Amino acid sequence: MSSEEERPKRRDEPQKWGIAHIFASYNDTICHITDITGAETIARSTGGMMVKADRNESSPHAAMQAAFQAAREAKDKGIYGIHIRVRAPGGHGPKTPGPGAQAAIRALSRAGLKIGIIDEVTPLPHDGTRKPGGRRGRRV
Amino acid sequence: MAFRETIKVPVERIGVIVGHDGRVKSRVEELTNVQLEVTPDGAVIITAVPDAGDPVLAWKARDIVRAMARGFSPSNALTLIDEDSRLLVISLRDSVGTSPDQLKRVAGRIIGERGRTRRVVEQITETKISVYGHTVSIIGTDPGIEYAARAVNMLIEGLPHANVYKYLESMRRSMNRERTEIWETSQE
Repeated sequence: MSSEEERPKRRDEPQKWGIAHIFASYNDTICHITDITGAETIARSTGGMMVKADRNESSPHAAMQAAFQAAREAKDKGIYGIHIRVRAPGGHGPKTPGPGAQAAIRALSRAGLKIGIIDEVTPLPHDGTRKPGGRRGRRV
Repeated sequence: MAFRETIKVPVERIGVIVGHDGRVKSRVEELTNVQLEVTPDGAVIITAVPDAGDPVLAWKARDIVRAMARGFSPSNALTLIDEDSRLLVISLRDSVGTSPDQLKRVAGRIIGERGRTRRVVEQITETKISVYGHTVSIIGTDPGIEYAARAVNMLIEGLPHANVYKYLESMRRSMNRERTEIWETSQE
């Protein structure tokens, strides 16, 4: 977007930072940009909003488009740089981020936002709830 | 851009990660813009160089070290540098338990007689698979890696090998079909 050029930046204008929360599961990728406290949403976009077929919601391509869309909205609202927090479902589910995570980070940096700290914030259980399926496993 | 992470690796894989005269280590460092520090008790500390262009590269470095720790050769691990390829680590502990006999049996099922099963899965899905200790690790690009993971899970669950091969064959057909679709759309 050309909003950067249209709006002349004053020297003393503070550079606004935000946080991009990227939730990458095997079924979807959610890219949620908030302010630095994490309490106020600035832009939110998901992989499922970008593709038609359900099975493509978590694809890297959908993640890239979702991240790009969110980044564009955030830049329009005057965000200059972002810290990134990546997470997988965690808990008793998969603990490695899905296929969309890397694509989303890359799209954010290509969209022209300055990247600060990249964190992985997958919630890891200190022995939490039991996995579904029961003792004899999932019977199909 | 402070990125710092410590990974525990098996002591017997340290030699692979460092390489002859530190060759593998320096290759990883120059490809991914990170500093690796390997301690003799099996900890690898990855520190990203500040303001190194691509922020994903530090992650790639972590994945490469993890791949080598999980039994891949350096040349296979370095294919992770490619943008689309990913590393997937499946733990056998989750579904098999801790009994050494059972772990050995399931690992054998995945590898197959003289590595036959593993080779078939690798060829059809265009991935690299390493069975090491109680983990199965897969390196590959996107639709293939999912199919390989599915096939490995089927083998862990105890399905007959013939069923897994049948599943892989049907996936190969759908992969080929997708590939031709991509070519057709790009030509228009």
